[in-house]
Order: sequence, then C-alpha cells, then structure tokens
Amino acid sequence: MSAWIMGARGLDKRGSFFKLIDTIASEIGELKQEMVQTDVSLENGLEPTEAHSMVRHMDDGYSEEKDVKPCPRDSGYDSLSNRLSILDRLLHTHPIWLQLSLSEEEAAEVLQSQPPGIFLVRKSTKMQKKVISLRLPCEFGAPLKEFAIKESTYTFSLEGSGISFADLFRLIAFYCISRDVLPFTLKLPYAISTAKTEAQLEELAQLGLNFWSSPADNKPPNPPPPHRPLSSDGVCPASRQLCLINGVHSIKTRTPSELECSQTNGALCFINPLFLKVHSQDLSGGLKWPCTRTPNANGTERPRSPPPRPPPPAINSLHTSPQLSRTETRASMPETVNHNKHGNVALLGTKPAPIPPPRLKKQASFLEAEGGAKTLTGSRPRPGPEREREPEPEPEPEPAPGPAGSPGGALPEEAPDDCTSARPGGSESRPPWHGGRQRLSDMSISTSSSDSLDFDRSMPLFGYEADTNSSLEDYEGESDQETMAPPIKSKKKKNSSFVLPKLVKSQLRKMSGVFSSFMTPEKRMVRRIAELSRDKCTYFGCLVQDYVSFLQENKECHVSSTDMLQTIRQFMTQVKNYLSQSSELDPPIESLIPEDQIDVVLEKAMHKCILKPLKGHVEAMLKDFHMADGSWKQLKENLQLVRQRNPQELGVFAPTPDFVDVEKIKVKFMTMQKMYSPEKKVMLLLRVCKLIYTVMENNSGRLYGADDFLPVLTYVIAQCDMLELDAEIEYMMELLDPSLLHGEGGYYLTSAYGALSLIKNFQEEQAARLLSSEARDTLRQWHKRRTTNRTIPSVDDFQNYLRVAFQEVNSGCTGKTLLVRPYVTTEDVCQLCAEKFKVGDPEKYSLFLFIDETWQQLAEDTYPQKIKAELHSRPQPHIFHFVYKRIKNDPYGVIFQNGEEDLTTS
Amino acid sequence: MMAIRELKVCLLGDTGVGKSSIVCRFVQDHFDHNISPTIGASFMTKTVACGNELHKFLIWDTAGQERFHSLAPMYYRGSAAAVIVYDITKQDSFYTLKKWVKELKEHGPENIVMAIAGNKCDLSDIREVPLKDAKEYAESIGAIVVETSAKNAINIEELFQGISRQIPPLDPHENGNNGGIKVLNSSMPGTRPCC
Repeated sequence: MSAWIMGARGLDKRGSFFKLIDTIASEIGELKQEMVQTDVSLENGLEPTEAHSMVRHMDDGYSEEKDVKPCPRDSGYDSLSNRLSILDRLLHTHPIWLQLSLSEEEAAEVLQSQPPGIFLVRKSTKMQKKVISLRLPCEFGAPLKEFAIKESTYTFSLEGSGISFADLFRLIAFYCISRDVLPFTLKLPYAISTAKTEAQLEELAQLGLNFWSSPADNKPPNPPPPHRPLSSDGVCPASRQLCLINGVHSIKTRTPSELECSQTNGALCFINPLFLKVHSQDLSGGLKWPCTRTPNANGTERPRSPPPRPPPPAINSLHTSPQLSRTETRASMPETVNHNKHGNVALLGTKPAPIPPPRLKKQASFLEAEGGAKTLTGSRPRPGPEREREPEPEPEPEPAPGPAGSPGGALPEEAPDDCTSARPGGSESRPPWHGGRQRLSDMSISTSSSDSLDFDRSMPLFGYEADTNSSLEDYEGESDQETMAPPIKSKKKKNSSFVLPKLVKSQLRKMSGVFSSFMTPEKRMVRRIAELSRDKCTYFGCLVQDYVSFLQENKECHVSSTDMLQTIRQFMTQVKNYLSQSSELDPPIESLIPEDQIDVVLEKAMHKCILKPLKGHVEAMLKDFHMADGSWKQLKENLQLVRQRNPQELGVFAPTPDFVDVEKIKVKFMTMQKMYSPEKKVMLLLRVCKLIYTVMENNSGRLYGADDFLPVLTYVIAQCDMLELDAEIEYMMELLDPSLLHGEGGYYLTSAYGALSLIKNFQEEQAARLLSSEARDTLRQWHKRRTTNRTIPSVDDFQNYLRVAFQEVNSGCTGKTLLVRPYVTTEDVCQLCAEKFKVGDPEKYSLFLFIDETWQQLAEDTYPQKIKAELHSRPQPHIFHFVYKRIKNDPYGVIFQNGEEDLTTS
Repeated sequence: MMAIRELKVCLLGDTGVGKSSIVCRFVQDHFDHNISPTIGASFMTKTVACGNELHKFLIWDTAGQERFHSLAPMYYRGSAAAVIVYDITKQDSFYTLKKWVKELKEHGPENIVMAIAGNKCDLSDIREVPLKDAKEYAESIGAIVVETSAKNAINIEELFQGISRQIPPLDPHENGNNGGIKVLNSSMPGTRPCC
C-alpha cells in the first residue's frame, strides 16, 4: 500500500499536477477498497524492481506514509536527496562531464587528477565519434582509455556492446551501474554522487568544466576502488541499507540471480520469465503498486512519467514470452511493463535506488517483448482480475478513425482528469474488458504509481508518453484510410481518452514492423522543442512566437505566394541553425539524438512549432494570392479542358487509373491538405504516385519511365480536378527540407509540379494546335530540326510511300501512291499531287488528313510521312486518309467512308 | 565505414531511346532489396563504391517528348551528372542529344558531369550514328561517351563507373577510421588509434 501512496505523493510533488491532488486523494480511498477486494499485489506477480522499491519503503520506515502530504520539491527532506537517481544526477550535471568540444589532451589533463572510474564524454576528432574517456586505475598501465560511442539512427551504444540506449544519459547511467564491455563501472565525482538536492547539483553544474579544478570536486576520504561486478557477488539484503546512501554503488544491491543476468557481457537475452517469477514470488511482500501496467495508456494522460525507452537490443529472446502459458504471461508480461516504469523509479527515481543492472536490460528487452508480442499490456489500464485477457489486447489492425483528429485534442498536461473516461470509447473493437471497476481509480493510480518523481521534474523530455500530440500527428501522417471519418472526430473532441486506442495502435503498428524503429527519443525532442517554442521566456520561444504572430497579423508583408513561403522556409532554416548551436536546448541535443538524426529532428520540430500554427494562415494566403492573380481561374478552365481530352491526346500510352482509383487518389490528396508537415504531404504524394504506377504496370512487369509516367500523372491530376492541389504542391515545393529535394520525394514532387504547369499552359498549347496534340508536338520537333537535318531520311518505321486520295466533286475519288520521303513537306506533296492528279489550279487545293471523321488541313511545313508514322504508332489503330482536295470543299467527306479500302494508306 | 554521397543524376534524351531501360538495367542487375524502386522506374537509386566513397546515385528520369522540354530545367537542376542518351539507329536522337548538351552548357549546373550513351548498340546493323561521330562530339565537349545496350547489358555498369570517376572526391583527407577499432584494443591517450 505504501507503494501507491508514495506514488500519489510523487504526483503531489509535481507542481503542474497540483490541481489533481484532490482527485487523487479521493481515489486513494477507493483504491484501498479495491485492493482489499482483489488483493492485487498477490495476484500480480511482483517483479524484483517492485520488490526493491518495497524494500526501500520498508527501509525508510513509515516515514514514507507521512510523505503523503504534498511537499514542495525542494523541501529539505532528507529523504529527497536520496531520490536523486543517477540519471537525475547526470542530467543536472552534464555541463561537467559532457564536454563534447574537449580535446584528447585536455581530457587527459582533467582526468589525470581524478580517481579511477571518473569519466568524461567528449567528441573525438580522430574517430569523429563521441567517446567516454575513462580514468583507469594504476594497474591498468595507462591513465585513461577511450570507449567509442556508436550512434545509429535511433540509438546510442558502446562499441562492442549489444545494448543500446535511447540517449546518452541513459547510456552513461547504465554504465554507472553495470560495466558490460567496460573494465569496470563508471563513477560519478564524489560531489555529484553525494549531492543531496537538485539545487546542489545545479550549483555544481554551474561550474562547468571548472568543476574539475575547483574545490567543489572534493574527493571522498577513501575513494573506493571501482567496483567490478564479480566482486559484488553475493550481495546480501543487508547491504541494501548501505546502498541507500550511495546510489552510485547500487551495484551492490543486486541479488545473485540478477548478477547472473548482468554478466552476459553484452549479450542480449535478459529476461527469463521464470527468473522473474521466482523473484516476484519471493519478494512480494504483500505490497504492490496497484496498477502499473499502462505505460502507453497512461502516457497519453501523463506527460511526465516516462518509461525509459532504451531501444531494443537486436535479439529476439523475448519473442516467446507472449506464448508462455497464461500464468507465465501474467507473471512476466506485466512485470516487464512494470519494470519499464519502475526501472525508472529505480534509476532515476525516488530513492537512493539500488539499481540492479538487469532492470535496465529488462527494460530494453521489454520493448522487444512489446514488439514481438504486438501486445501492449500497457494498452489496458487495468491489471485487476481481468488479467486473464492479457494475451488478447490486440491492436486493432484497421486504421483508426480520422487523421483529422487534430492533435491538440489531448493535452498531456490535462493529465489524469482525462482518464476519468479513459475508455477507448465506441471506436473500440476489443472485447470489453472493463468490469465494474472505477476507472478513475485505475487510471489515476497507475499514473501515480508509474511516476518517477524526481525524474519527471527535471526531464519532461523523457516523457515519451506525453507524446500524445506527436503520436497523433504521426498517426495522422500515417493514416491512409480511404475515407475520412468526421463523426469520430467530434467524438474525439469531447473525450480525449479516445486518443488512447489510436495512440496505442499507431505505436503498435510501428512496433510490429521493425523493432528498432522506435521514434520516441525523436518525438520527445520534437516535443521538447515545441514546448520551448511556446515559452516566451526563451530567446527561441520569442523568436518563433513573434514571427508567427507577425505573419498572421501582417497579411500584406509578402508580395507573392512564393515570397511568403520562401521567407518561412528561410526562417525555419535559420531557427534550426540557431537551435543547433544555442545552449537553450538543455541538455544539448547531441546527447539525446544520434548525430545523423539531429537535422531531421530539428526539421520536424520546426514543422511543429512554426508550420503548425501557421498552416491555416498560409493556406488562406495562398488561396488569396491565386484568386487575386487569376491563376486559379485559369487553372480551373484548363483542368476542364484537359479533362475533356482523351488520354492519348495527352500523350498517355499506358493504362490509366479508372474512376475508382481516381477517387482513391482524390481522397489521398484531401488527406494531404490536412497535414501541416511538408514531408508528410510528400509521403502522401508518393502514395498517389505508387498507386498510379501500380495501375500503369498492371502486372505487366513492364517498367515505365518518365516518358510514360509524366503524361499519366498529368492526366490523373486533371481528373482529380482539385485547385487546392496547386497550393499543396507549392507548399511542398517551397517548404520541404532542401536536403530532401533530391530524393524520391523531390522527384515526384517535381513531376507533380511539372504536370500542373503543363495543365496551366494547356490553352496556349491548344491555340497553336492544328493536329492532335501528339502529332502537333512531333511536328514541332521536326520543324525545328528541319534546317539541320533535312537530307537525312530515317528508315525506321517509315516507308517512303504515301497513299493519297484525290477527291473531286465531279469525278468522285481516286487514289494514288506517291513516293514521299520523310522530310518532304506537305507543300511539296501538294505540288506532287497537282502534277499526278493533273490539277489546273493547285492553289485551290490542299492536303487534308481525314481522321476520326474530321478533316484537318495540313500546314505547309508539316511532314505527311511523320504524321503517318505517328498515327501508326498509336496503340489504337486509327483509320485515316490523306486526301488531296479543294480547300473550300462541299461536305463530300462522307463519300470516303465508302471507299475505305481504296484509300487506306499503305 | 565509407562516406555515402548522394549524387543526383538526370537522364535526358528523346523519347524512346531507352533512358529508363538503361537505368532499370543498371539498378536491377545487382538487385538489392534495399534500393529497389519504391514507387516506379522514373526515380531509382543505386549505390556504388568509388575509391573511399560510396556514391549513391539518385537517378532522375525525364520525359523525352518535346512538350515536356520546358520542364527539363527542374529535373537537371542540382544534378551532379547528366546521362544523355541517344539511339544509335536514330540520327534524330543524336541531334536531340546535341541540343541537350547545349542547353546544359548554358543553363545546367556548373561542373555537371556529362555522359553520352549511344543506346541500342545491339542493333548496330541498322546504325545511323557512327561511333566515330559520337566520340568526336563527346571529346569536343569533354563528355564521357559509351555505346550501350540496355537489352544485352553492355556497358551499362561502365557508364556509371565512368561518371563515378569523374565526380571529384569530397575530401581527399577524409579516409578516416573504418570503424573497426576494437574498444578493448583502442589506444592509450596520446597514441593513434589503429586503422
């Protein structure tokens, strides 16, 4: 019981949740009852972490219970100091140990005077990587050694180790308690590891690099040798008391079996469900954190209590866990989740935190389990008796309702209130697993129990669950449903808990794909920056807010749409540069995001904090600009014109999307309009292109290049008949991250832009048109070259003969086959015909093309043979005739339909 | 770990000369599931090793029809290289090629690497453009020239290798560590890590 009370207290401590205290308090009573009823703690296998925290409580005596009263974070409570976790200490003091710009020599100098185990993190210019510079004990022969930190797309890890972490702090924190590939664990300077309050840490941090040479860096009287895991074997529970005093040496708290786990030396299989079960049994003391299984669900409500999200190691060890017997599942799955949370508590957490390394590992593997099982236990807020259903909670595979849901709906800050109705609502297709329990209790309690007190204060950015917004946006981005679901949108508004299933689903969807692709650190960062951008106390926040309001209030400040968009793009780029260099992001982004991702993350953040608030304004402005300059009117007319053409006239010789496909494409374009992120818009454009390609290829196995694709794209865009598409394309063209313009997105965006330009200029093309568009183009091409290559005939496809009919009112119709070379013009053919047909007044005659029941007089400079070739090359055979006849003829054309066989050209 | 450089390459040439066939052949001969076209054949990528670098070609196909000519600048903008394709059996396509070269010289990116591909060399019995003409022309403009056959996979690889070689290396000094430093063997302060 004290466990959840502590949780509640943790919540109280959080200033931002102060308003919720009453709610929570009232819930406590209910929960007590509940616990009596269901004896949750006993039923729910307790994992070691929880057990530890319990033990800690006990060690602390019942003072914990007194803590129930809200107490300010910085109160002088002694117990508070103990709550500073290693991670916390690291976070507060990074200006001391995180010295990215330090040279090797400088690092050596600093560490020289330090006891073994002390470390710095710096960026090695030699390796172009971050390294841990570690002070070695004398017996190692050298004063220090460097360990390279590998940064993959989403994770940080030590080279040679299989354990990866979402950020640098987690990595360092882990190596403070487990050596893995290191010769021994890292050690925090004495002053840091013994600081009692955050204020003290902050004070130390102020010193920055000077810390190392300042008196603040006092050494402990007898620096203990670095702990080797082996030497800490057989720690007995009695030693826990000791550990409470010094979180750094938490390694001692490990039970033997935990140690076994930790000695896998970088191997990745950490959870043995049986092991967990054993521990849960022997450690369960009847106390239980009542509801800790809802990381995600909770997350939507709670910005601040993040499960640490070390990305999964690359092993599938846990895939089987979901298949364990039900009992096993019960024991292990919820535990892993709990680990996830309590690991936090331990690591970052409330207490002096004995931090058995295996926990972290378990956290890591938990994610895997999560992914492997495609089951978020966390998706169910309630572990109670309904647990039997555990294995069932399935992500609904079908896309959740509207992408429309503007992410603003569920503000994490609104916290547990929202959970009141945290039922996934009507949209939910899962079996109803909510019994008659008080939902509020469930939610609030799980909220409080999962919290990580100190941690959440200092690190809102770790609140990955707080990513409701971004997750939703992501979801929004991902949404590919073919129909919008507006009704659901409204539902969502009135009940933010609706977010839950969506969030869970989107998370699950990602997880089911690639385990390693956890977006959370990135999302956290984006979210963090977005928060910063709303904080007018920061320079960055001012910059952004001022710019946004300036744009919104000064509609006249841009002369054209391009001007407006380019200014915005420029602003985003500048702000990005500022952010990556400024110290306003604390801790520095390099410590949280792998280097090759920093720009990507910053770009996303820009979209969120600049484009999102400006989206409506920009849209309206684009529309205004295009209405004002008449370009949309023109476009509208041209779209109409183009749609009246058949595909061949547009140069389309591949299968085109049918009505249904066009509708699908239109839906995608409409979805696109809802996005503010140019990248997400481009993703949708790519989907459209993919669909077009699928239709074109039509399982033929033929690969179509741009010669075929561009005309089809033009055709499709005309069919869609959406003026707004013009604004969309413009938005993307101007605002997309320039580094993406050369890639696939850039390519198809360029093509879409090109297609629209063609449509916009369609009328001009029309005006000059004498023949069908394709023929006309061919002609123009040849015309241009006439002077240069007149003498060169091309044998290909042509025969040098042309069958020409001669039509006279009196004599009816006769035909002759004439020798006509490819570069002979109509003018010359007419001359030839005049001779052959013995026409006295050739100026009154001309050569006509009779095709599709219409007459077209050929211009003098056209080439009949080329026209013929072009007509022959069309996929559908056309019946056509070249006819030499009077220019102002009476409508005798009809006659020709009877004389077809004579007139058919060779 | 070699640095990956993304190089935009645009394909120019008359319609029907086999632009996309060349790329398809190039990309798919060594089919790599990671780089297979995700959308369609008009944009493809392929990564090839070149010295210390990996060149990732981002290949932009263009529509060769005259009516799309005006769009070409959008496609060749920012290209590191252009592959201009003609059909050795069609003299006209060679004239078009010259027109493209001229346009690139006038409006294309500075220092763009130009590669001329005389495609369909499997049909040399109905050849209209002598190889000699193409070679002389290419020499006069400082371009790579090669006769290719997308159909029979002749000289396709060579074409792109030629382009790779013409791309100036990014930074001759940056041949850095190959990431193979073993943590446990890594050097003590003051010494160089082994490469």
